[in-house]
Amino acid sequence: MKKIRIIISLCFFLISLPVHGLTQELPSNQECRHCHSNPNLKKVLPDGKVISEYVDFDLFYKSVHKKQACVYCHIDATNFPCKNLQKVNCQRCHYKGNLAGAPDLIKYKEYGESVHGRATALGDVKAPMCQDCHGSHYIFDKADTLSRTNKEHIPQTCGACHLNIYDIYRISVHGEALRKKHILAAPSCADCHGEHNIKEHTDPKSKVFLTQVSVTCAKCHANMELIKKYDIPVEPVETYRESFHGVAIKFGAKTVANCSSCHEVHAIFKSDDPRSSIYVDNIPKTCGKCHPGASENFAKGKIHINPAKKEAGIIYYVSQFFKYLTLSVMFALIIYIILDLRKKIKVRRTGEE
Amino acid sequence: MEEKVMIERFTRSQRVQHFLLLISFIILIITGLALKFHDSWLGKLVITLEGGVIARGIFHRFAAVLLIFVAIYHFFYIIFTRYAHEEFLLMLPKFKDFKDAFQNVAFTLGLSSEHPKIDKYAPQEKFQYWAVVAGSFLMIITGLVLWYQTQAMLVLPKWVIDITRVMHSYQGVIIAVVILLWHLYIVHLNPKRFPMSRIWIDGKVSLEELKVEHPLEYERKYQDIADEKN
Repeated sequence: MKKIRIIISLCFFLISLPVHGLTQELPSNQECRHCHSNPNLKKVLPDGKVISEYVDFDLFYKSVHKKQACVYCHIDATNFPCKNLQKVNCQRCHYKGNLAGAPDLIKYKEYGESVHGRATALGDVKAPMCQDCHGSHYIFDKADTLSRTNKEHIPQTCGACHLNIYDIYRISVHGEALRKKHILAAPSCADCHGEHNIKEHTDPKSKVFLTQVSVTCAKCHANMELIKKYDIPVEPVETYRESFHGVAIKFGAKTVANCSSCHEVHAIFKSDDPRSSIYVDNIPKTCGKCHPGASENFAKGKIHINPAKKEAGIIYYVSQFFKYLTLSVMFALIIYIILDLRKKIKVRRTGEE
Repeated sequence: MEEKVMIERFTRSQRVQHFLLLISFIILIITGLALKFHDSWLGKLVITLEGGVIARGIFHRFAAVLLIFVAIYHFFYIIFTRYAHEEFLLMLPKFKDFKDAFQNVAFTLGLSSEHPKIDKYAPQEKFQYWAVVAGSFLMIITGLVLWYQTQAMLVLPKWVIDITRVMHSYQGVIIAVVILLWHLYIVHLNPKRFPMSRIWIDGKVSLEELKVEHPLEYERKYQDIADEKN
């Protein structure tokens, strides 16, 4: 009897060897919770920085990863106490054809070519990886207001590193619309700069490269739906494209003004706001950036004018006058040619007879 | 075969001035219209051929400087040479020109069988000359305002600059239209002169042609030559 028991237990042992014997039993979330639900749990980094190691499990269980175990991501958290854990690699699950059913968004290529991805690859520890923008334990769908990539939260998410820019953006016309008025059509950082594919503004592929700015701004400022809904002035895009600046940009000139040359990059305000670069008193200074010695006369007259529309005032009437003058000159000369040819043919015929 | 007697209608200086004017006009019109019609495929093509908008602007300004040079040269030519002075007096519009022009229209319409008797310059030639003078003057002024707009705007408000731009743009089109439809028709496509009159190269017309087209000048200057010949 004793022998049988030994054999049976040996069998169990052998069967469970691959699970128990060679690999240690992985700690369950419950075990992690013992320590990490303590709000005071902290870690001191070698450089003296103190970071919290507290995890809000209630919030975690609402996140998209609620069904995942801690150790699925923290694969090196096998021993207690878990020390010197590596940064989590999202690519362990989020890759094309993964069996875990993790959504594969194939953004790595875009990210890898982006300014952030390249900095990371070069070993810049300050450059953001997935979790720096998407969050670590509390990742939610971007439609969820708790998400760090929710439109209204994106400025704060980017602002965590780009603090100076966030400071300006938040009070700009776009920032106020998004933050205070909760207008979701107003641009956050990502609407102008892109998401995973963010490039330096000096990169010709960047959405904010100097020749691309007017295209990027036009996404909203020439969008009829948005224009009607939020009463955005529509003329700027059209008139800019017809202006010397716009034509030159279209043909690849790099020394002419784009939208942000005059309206500023982040510090965009309405024209009647004294902080605005296009406030009437600031126009000489703004134009003077490219046109040294620009006088206050630069502000005397509308900037975005369409000579073909009545709102252009006197310019419209001058333009109309010349339009009809040109047409009548053309018409008169064509008539003249026809009459002259007719006469010459007649003279020749009668001459021959 | 009787050899044609050729008369020098335009001096070498006049031909050179015309040639420089022609060069500058062609460059100005091509580069200018390319900018005005930048949205059309032809405009795009021309701007690309010119090496982009910045190069286009440089060509345009180069031709403008040439035009300004010709204008100044022409001005001094009239003031300081006896010949050009006389030519200028012949070019001044007179009351007779209106009568001649009127008769010309009547003749063309078939209402009158008689061609007006013309001196060296016919009314339409005078009109074209003065159109070129006025057109060039306005284009140079508006062009300079646009070229030195920052300096111009020390005095002028922005809306005047906008009007200047509209004027410069449309005037350019009008000048191009007049040259294409009127001047080039007369000297090239006109059945009498097709494919072209050589006068702009050698400055010469035959005595017979002069007699028909400029009878008053003929009587005034060449009657004795013609008499001798006969």
